[in-house]
Amino acid sequence: MLGKLMTCAAVVLMLASAARAETIEEKAQVCAGCHGADGKPIDKTIPVLWGQTAGYIYMQLRDFKSAARKSEIMEPLVSEFQRDDMLALAEYFSQKPWPDLGQPRAPKDVAAKALAASASIGCPACHLDRFQGDGTVPRLAGQGRDYLAKTIDDFRTRARANNPGMSDLMQAASPEDLTALADYLAGL
Amino acid sequence: MNRKGLAVIAAAVGAGLLSSAAIAQEITNKDKQSVIGNVNIAPVTQDKLNTADKSTKDFLLTNGNYAQTRFYPGKQISRDNVKNLRVAWIFQTDVKESLETSPIVVDGVMYVTTSFSHVYALDAKTGKQLWHYAHKMGPITVYCCGPNNRGVQVLNDRVYLATLDSKLMALNAKTGEVVWSTNIADPELGYSETMAPTVVNDKVLIGTNGGEYGIRGFMRAYDAKTGKLVWNFDTTPENSVGVWATKDATGRDMHRDIQAEKDMLAKIGDPYAKLGGGVWQNPAVDLATKRIYFVVGNPSPDLDGSSRPGDNLYTDSLVALDLDTGKYVCHFQYIAHDVWDLDAVSPPVLLNVKGKDGKVIPGVIHAGKTGHIYVHDRKDCSLIRFSEAMVPQENMWTLPTKDGARMLPGANGGVEWSPIATDPAQELAYAINLHQPMTYHVQSSPYPNGKLWLGGAFKVIPGEQQSGNITAVNYNTGKIKWQVKTPEPMIGGILATAGGLVFTGEGNGKFAAYNSSNGKELWSFHAGAGVNAPPSSYMIGKKQYIVVGAGGNTQLDYKRGNNIIAFTLD
Repeated sequence: MLGKLMTCAAVVLMLASAARAETIEEKAQVCAGCHGADGKPIDKTIPVLWGQTAGYIYMQLRDFKSAARKSEIMEPLVSEFQRDDMLALAEYFSQKPWPDLGQPRAPKDVAAKALAASASIGCPACHLDRFQGDGTVPRLAGQGRDYLAKTIDDFRTRARANNPGMSDLMQAASPEDLTALADYLAGL
Repeated sequence: MNRKGLAVIAAAVGAGLLSSAAIAQEITNKDKQSVIGNVNIAPVTQDKLNTADKSTKDFLLTNGNYAQTRFYPGKQISRDNVKNLRVAWIFQTDVKESLETSPIVVDGVMYVTTSFSHVYALDAKTGKQLWHYAHKMGPITVYCCGPNNRGVQVLNDRVYLATLDSKLMALNAKTGEVVWSTNIADPELGYSETMAPTVVNDKVLIGTNGGEYGIRGFMRAYDAKTGKLVWNFDTTPENSVGVWATKDATGRDMHRDIQAEKDMLAKIGDPYAKLGGGVWQNPAVDLATKRIYFVVGNPSPDLDGSSRPGDNLYTDSLVALDLDTGKYVCHFQYIAHDVWDLDAVSPPVLLNVKGKDGKVIPGVIHAGKTGHIYVHDRKDCSLIRFSEAMVPQENMWTLPTKDGARMLPGANGGVEWSPIATDPAQELAYAINLHQPMTYHVQSSPYPNGKLWLGGAFKVIPGEQQSGNITAVNYNTGKIKWQVKTPEPMIGGILATAGGLVFTGEGNGKFAAYNSSNGKELWSFHAGAGVNAPPSSYMIGKKQYIVVGAGGNTQLDYKRGNNIIAFTLD
């Protein structure tokens, strides 16, 4: 994994100089270095962007720029971005088809555990029916399993600090239930 | 209002994968408006709106009339014949998501809305689509509790709509074309719109969602002809501190640490700027005194009071304003410095009520998430009485803790945003309620700029039985006249008719008629998706119809659908 991430970082560095002045399509090329030229990320801890909700992508870019969300890779990449750039990139990726990562559907017992946890803390109230997301709330269905698990963990530990409400919710659920939830969501 | 909705039922989730293409049908990249049939309605004059309470033909306002009684004066459908009620037509919208619309009917044309701010004009007799307006949604929408829309109102030849991305719009009532559009507020800051506007005397009255997002709430009036702002009333005034009330409206101690709050006030100043105070539902309009009455929702963040010292005026309050100027008239706060989100959401109703001395006076009543119906003097907003609790109450007011403190009602209520109905002849108010045992968790954090800011979490207690009920309360005594228990928490709305009936629906798809005097069930229908919207009634020719949306609910995760269903007698 580390190797892939380093490759990813190298690609980003290589292209970073180009990230300042080109078209949205060219900017998106930089993103493709890690998030995948075909929409499938090159590493399992990197999120799917293709087909993600535009509002969510925009808010994350905004938060990387302000460093409300920490990432050694993303923060410098977006530092020069203007609001319009971020909105345009968000729109660009949101219009791409969601890729099929080929992740297995969760077994029934895991799904039941996941749905009970989801019902208790109210995930569908924001992520909507079948976890499709909308606006500034991300789609979770079919997102990479390892990215989901890492994100949940980062919210629980508050390592990811740009959405304390999510941290509160993740802390109100048990780690076992959340593991089941990651398996379930990835398999949708 | 309640945010993140602590759902209970997850039955609908996981039934399969909704394709991104399906979602794309619901949210368009540009305004789309398609006209199929002719809309031949006479302009809806102010005079017509003023007498909406007497009309059996039309259902002109979200809650029936400006007093918001939800009492329909027609009685063709009665206790004797309601057993013969049959489906007249079903219209399927393009949007299969949470459906909270209040259908209005104008001259044989019905206007309904769906999630993501779509509007449809339908032939109210046949269900045939006449036109469809699909709103071009901005990329940034920040909202709590579902992408809902609760309806529209018509004045003259225009339909007024407020959208999820916080725009106010006037559409051509005959074609759905946009006449004007005004930005109400910046969605990125946490503002959104789900309520139906109330239009009166050429003013479009609109509040805002956002009580879960660190906004500063408001009620506003816009010019119906131009869309220009006429007046603004901030629901959190610059002096939001109040009187340091230690007891709620019912006299129960709220366990506030007043000294700690005063110390914090000295340190950070008045917290009004991000104090929340959303207005989720329509104001009632007193045409005689030219006043409006509405309720203001919770302070932000919901569960964490540490950063918002004071009573947090006018959150959790009934507020009255002058219609012409928006100037403050009076208020009554139910819960000062709320840290449970047991706020005020269900739209208030203007009725004549018995005062404390038994004399009949102009009153205003509101059903709270606490489970009480509150009865006020319209003159000064003062509380006359409150009803028996309609739901179990336990450990009130236990303060939220880091690990979670159990208290009833849960944060959805009691009575959520669901409008109540009334029957003045019987002196009854009808409310639908939730019973959801929850633990309240508190956690401090600064406002995360456009993301949910609850200051903790509400958690449904797994394994504890949940339920709902329909309750009839005598508002002149505060006593419960009858109550019907339902298997699941209730959200949506209710309608009373002169036929001696009340109609309401449940999350499991049941839609039923009850004897309004004793609660006896007289008829029911299973819609196949949650019936979580307020019913309306109207007449075409000599036939009375009942109409309701069946599309489920995001907040409680009730099974989604996309149906508008009209019923009439065989």
